[in-house]
Amino acid sequence: MNTRAGQDGANAQLGRHARVVAGKEILFDSENFFWDFEDWSEEAVRELAEEAGLERLEEDHWKVIRFFRDYYSYNGRAPLNSKLKKGTGLSLLELEGLFPGGLKYGARRLAGLPNPKTCN
Amino acid sequence: MIYLDNAATAFPKPAEPLRRALEQYLETGASPGRGGYDLSVEAEYEVEAVRRKVCRFFGGGEGWRVCFAYNATDALNTFILGLTQEPCHVVSTRLEHNSVLRPLHHLAQQGRITLDLVPFNAQGYVEPDAVAKAIRPDTGLVMLNHASNVLGTVQPAAEIAALCREQGVELVLDVSQSAGLYPIELEKWGVGGLAFTGHKSLLGPTGIGGLVLSPRVNPMPTRYGGTGVDSINLVHTMDYPYRLEPGTINLLGVLGLGQSLDYVNSPEHRQSLAHELELWARLRDGLAALEGVELYCASGPGERLPLLSCNVRGIRAGDVADILDGDFEIAVRSGLHCAPLLHQQLGTSPHGAVRFSLGVFNTEGDIETALEAMGRIAATAAVQGR
Repeated sequence: MNTRAGQDGANAQLGRHARVVAGKEILFDSENFFWDFEDWSEEAVRELAEEAGLERLEEDHWKVIRFFRDYYSYNGRAPLNSKLKKGTGLSLLELEGLFPGGLKYGARRLAGLPNPKTCN
Repeated sequence: MIYLDNAATAFPKPAEPLRRALEQYLETGASPGRGGYDLSVEAEYEVEAVRRKVCRFFGGGEGWRVCFAYNATDALNTFILGLTQEPCHVVSTRLEHNSVLRPLHHLAQQGRITLDLVPFNAQGYVEPDAVAKAIRPDTGLVMLNHASNVLGTVQPAAEIAALCREQGVELVLDVSQSAGLYPIELEKWGVGGLAFTGHKSLLGPTGIGGLVLSPRVNPMPTRYGGTGVDSINLVHTMDYPYRLEPGTINLLGVLGLGQSLDYVNSPEHRQSLAHELELWARLRDGLAALEGVELYCASGPGERLPLLSCNVRGIRAGDVADILDGDFEIAVRSGLHCAPLLHQQLGTSPHGAVRFSLGVFNTEGDIETALEAMGRIAATAAVQGR
């Protein structure tokens, strides 16, 4: 199973796929969330944001992304909704409009946090 | 915080019944029926009293049985696996929760059953004739979600049961949502049995549920073990309730359920249900008036529970729920609600919908706040051109 073909088979079974972003091969899940938090980079997120329709990440975008990443790095889990609001100083309704794809598929995905397991 | 997720579990729970149950448990918490000493006999007596209470509550008659389970999923698995030991055809509906769909699909995948799932109509109800037409000579069981956990529609169980019995098939109900909100009359309706959970509108603790069975319905045991009776026999007993209750039961849960049933049966509580439906009507009318909000099967005639589902145009359901929580401190449930085929039929899969489910402690103020929040979300989405 350590062959490339074996890895591809295992990835497909888990719904993962690999693609090159900003010059690096990165594993994503079936909804294009980073599989590995550590694979994230500023270069990669710029490229992914552009694909999502954000030509340029502005200060507010970076503030949200950095809060997500710092919180996750420190606590080992995503921030609660109330912490996200307090930590970014933005309402969730504002955040929703800031990122194409909204809170989960926009902000959280670009920040490189794992795809939440709940079916919402 | 405004809690509008009572269909997932009732919260908060009335404190007094749980306190009384804990006191009972601390006084008589021996292993019920496993020993001949007074404390064990007393514990068993208390469990039997709750069995009788459950049977009466659901309209079971002479010879009806109650077996406890961990929750409705556990009880439904016991029914489904225990009644399909011989290969057969099963009829169910697209309204079902995964607690029914998954065991049925597991059996179908193994080739142990064949399965037909009846759709619901535009108002969210299963047509009794459609169920009758799906029944075949080899149909061994009909499973029906009595009240949808997504739409709140209460299905015409008595009518469907009569059509099933005409063809010699038993109907088993999943009353997870309706129990405690809608009067259930098992014997009168001619239903073969039901699966319930204690922690939703019965207002009991989590971890306790059960089966109520007519004398005509006898699932085979699918788990085996100690029962405290017939211990010399290495094959699991066929006697009730032990037949379907291997191992020590959740005594604290049973006592909590008994106390909560007393609470739910009180006249004051029954009055509060009418209030919940009034609040639901206000919520429905308010949401229906909002531009960009789509409601699902929330109008028209028919019996309903105080819950409804909707979407805001241009924003995924999960994000709407997060905004309600983070910005307005309103707890709702979004997604597929473990009812994937229902959302598939509604056209709301894979992201589902936002569900508001009311409870006994909700107020008019809660509903007005929820409507104001939804109004702001919908208006913002419209301005953003979503």
